[in-house]
Amino acid sequence: MEDQIVRIICRLVVPFIQVYGIYVVLYGHLSPGGGFAGGAIIGASMVLYALSFNLEAGSNKIPHDTASVMESGGALAFAFIGLVAIILGHEYLTNLAAGFPVGVPGELVSGGIIPFISVAIGIKITSTIVTLFYNLIGKEQLEDGNH
Amino acid sequence: MQIDPLNLILFALVAAVLITFLPRTHFKSVFTIILLGIIGYFLVITVAEMPPFGDIANPPVNELMLRFVEQGVEETGVPNLVTGILNDYRAIDTLGEATVIFLAIAGAVATIKAH
Repeated sequence: MEDQIVRIICRLVVPFIQVYGIYVVLYGHLSPGGGFAGGAIIGASMVLYALSFNLEAGSNKIPHDTASVMESGGALAFAFIGLVAIILGHEYLTNLAAGFPVGVPGELVSGGIIPFISVAIGIKITSTIVTLFYNLIGKEQLEDGNH
Repeated sequence: MQIDPLNLILFALVAAVLITFLPRTHFKSVFTIILLGIIGYFLVITVAEMPPFGDIANPPVNELMLRFVEQGVEETGVPNLVTGILNDYRAIDTLGEATVIFLAIAGAVATIKAH
């Protein structure tokens, strides 16, 4: 697909989609959203990029190795955030009772471990959507020969 | 009439196995349609017996909901109660969800790459 209009519009729109996705992840504890929704938005921006350019361009932005590290890293970060509470002498994934700083409810940095969990899930879901899409498209192109 | 969903699922399973081993005739089509009609009838009956929306006597309206609404903000420290429940009260459940997605994507990639 060699459509100049689609490519230029995509190049304009993708950064805004990604900024919005990062906003949804970071403000997940204040407004509707969270790790799952924001990660899906960021992943969708990369899907849009790969659709309007081609698979090689998208794979160069997020290579498979990077996606693997993001996928495992997000899940591991979630698990290790929970382990911190055990080190502090409480149950797994305890939040405020374990002594994490609460801050002022309603501000960006508040709520103990909740924003960190949101960010970890966001990274993981981004990688999930990107990996799944790129692998399926790669399979399609492999079967069709060269598109 | 009270229908246990598990019984309905077992019934559908037995019917599916039964239909699979029937020879490919007109009788099979008619039999399938009748069985589907029975299953659909019981599904509709179950929906019709559901409690009315927003009723104070519904099972989800219990002390847990009041606890979340009244003390959720001070116990979790976030004003968004959905995130507070997902990432604080039910954080282990969310970790399980993340694990399920991780395993799903690992299985999908393994299946695709294997061909």
